[in-house]
Amino acid sequence: MTLPLTIENITAHYGSTKVLEDLSLSLAEGELVSLLGASGCGKTTTLRLVAGFLQPTSGAIRLGSKDLTRLPAHQRDIGLVFQNYALFPHLTVRENVAFGLKQRKVASAERTKRADAMLDRVGLAHLADRLPAALSGGQKQRVALARALVIEPPLLMFDEPLSNLDAKLRVDMRVEIRQLQRANGTTALYVTHDQEEAFSISDRVAIMHQGRIMQLDTPETLYQRPANAFVANFVGFENIVPLSVTARNGAEVTARSDSGAELTLSQDQLGAIPDRFLLATRPDGLQVSTDPAAVGLPAELGLRTYLGRAYQYQAQAGGLSLVANGPLSQPLETGTAAKLVPNPEQCAILQPE
Amino acid sequence: MKRLAGWMLATPATLAIALLLVIPVAGTIGMTFGTPGQGDWGIVQPYADFFASNFRRRVLWRTFEVAGYVTVISLAAGLVTAYVVARCPAWTKSVLVVLAVFPLLTGVIVRSFAWLVLLGREGMVNQFLIWTGLIDGPLTMLYTPGAVIVAMVYIFVPLMVLVLVGVLENIPEDLLQASSSLGAGPVASFFQVTLPLAVPGLIVGAVLVFTASFTSYATPALLGGTRQMMMGTFLHQSAMVRFDWPGAAVVAAIMLAVILATVLVMTRLAKRLNPMAT
Repeated sequence: MTLPLTIENITAHYGSTKVLEDLSLSLAEGELVSLLGASGCGKTTTLRLVAGFLQPTSGAIRLGSKDLTRLPAHQRDIGLVFQNYALFPHLTVRENVAFGLKQRKVASAERTKRADAMLDRVGLAHLADRLPAALSGGQKQRVALARALVIEPPLLMFDEPLSNLDAKLRVDMRVEIRQLQRANGTTALYVTHDQEEAFSISDRVAIMHQGRIMQLDTPETLYQRPANAFVANFVGFENIVPLSVTARNGAEVTARSDSGAELTLSQDQLGAIPDRFLLATRPDGLQVSTDPAAVGLPAELGLRTYLGRAYQYQAQAGGLSLVANGPLSQPLETGTAAKLVPNPEQCAILQPE
Repeated sequence: MKRLAGWMLATPATLAIALLLVIPVAGTIGMTFGTPGQGDWGIVQPYADFFASNFRRRVLWRTFEVAGYVTVISLAAGLVTAYVVARCPAWTKSVLVVLAVFPLLTGVIVRSFAWLVLLGREGMVNQFLIWTGLIDGPLTMLYTPGAVIVAMVYIFVPLMVLVLVGVLENIPEDLLQASSSLGAGPVASFFQVTLPLAVPGLIVGAVLVFTASFTSYATPALLGGTRQMMMGTFLHQSAMVRFDWPGAAVVAAIMLAVILATVLVMTRLAKRLNPMAT
């Protein structure tokens, strides 16, 4: 079973501090949506509201047609995977997994059967009689996953489930989580502060900041077409240059920077360009060129670092601090005057704030 | 060198314990043995005499009974109180803990005296019951095991609350959240998560209260009188009224044995039942 989740205009407070403001979010059936952001952005608060551990000040939460807003946590029927696993230390692995079934009054023999089948799916059938204290971190997280899945919830939620695991295991486990979630077709809400983790397994990602969703989109769109400066910066567009359009010629647009440098951009490649806009690029999308004929932002190069595939330069361009990459064939010294040429394929156009 | 310094540092305390505890206790226990070859039981004849007496067996049994009731009632009352206190916000919790501990600041004798005033023939409880018309004449409440039990529960519950609040606070919040996310209501969570995880604390609290009430003297002396003697009051009577020092030593040795056995068995049990240990 799987149901869509709707969060409508939720506002939430901790004491008198507002932690979420008018937040709305919808998850389609079977969709995995991540809430991504730094600590304090409201992502965990959102999850706790949906779980029923917190009450919103206003707004509604719906799972399918069921209104969860005022329902106690134990009646919400949500599978939850915790950051610290939260396994019951006094119960064996099998009893942990069967716990939810016991609350649903499933008969003892059936409970054991289903718990064992789920443990088999996460590859821990041989550890069924152990206590959680005797398991490794990765094993504990698998038990937590099995415990949440065995009740066949219409919604799964993950609260930074991999942050206590080492790097290699994190990658394995996130693939495993995605496979199990896909196989069951369960709607899932996934909270993380790890961008790679969120982008790699999500259908859509909500980037959060100060209690609001800054952008909710597919990972591809977020990565290539951030909607605002915050998201752009978050996904690695380190350079943000304010520009004004001076001439339009069909799809070709000429724009001038505050320091007077002119660039020519194509709306075919970048989408509609407003009269005033921000050009966002990653270091990779801003190439250092010493060719006098190159069209770009004039800059003075600063510190050079070696990235393996390229050199990276800290550069000063008309009062802006930018980060640009240059070819390995030509290491340039501090103080060199050069042009920074944006590569349209790696640029994004943003509305000014 | 380091080891030597360690031993030297431990010497004063070791000497103090040897002089003030081990030697007197050994002397007391030594006093309890009879002469070999005399009587049916040889050197354990004084113990046989103790258990041969109906009166003394009743005193021992009554002590067990009273201590048992006090322990069970304190566990139940303490657990409920501690559960409520532990779930309060931090500030409320500290106020409640201070309130719970407040009676500990007065002496046991003063607190037992309070019950003397409450439970006497002309005491407040009788006056109240007569005023409501529930009874016609005053009830005899003083000098009954009931009076001793009520007063001891009153004395020991704060101790139990203190121990259990600590234990309940240590149960991670996310275990209870996990439990409720899996469909367990507050009652199911209490019995399936909180209670099993509190067992080691319950055992510690039970050992504390049981040993303290088994050996208590002031409360049974004031509220139990001479007719409802317990081991503590009997020990006092043997030594200070009848000057039967060997007899008193036997009482003391039996109390010591009961307490040692309780502590040993219960700590073993606590270790076995501790889910946090591997």
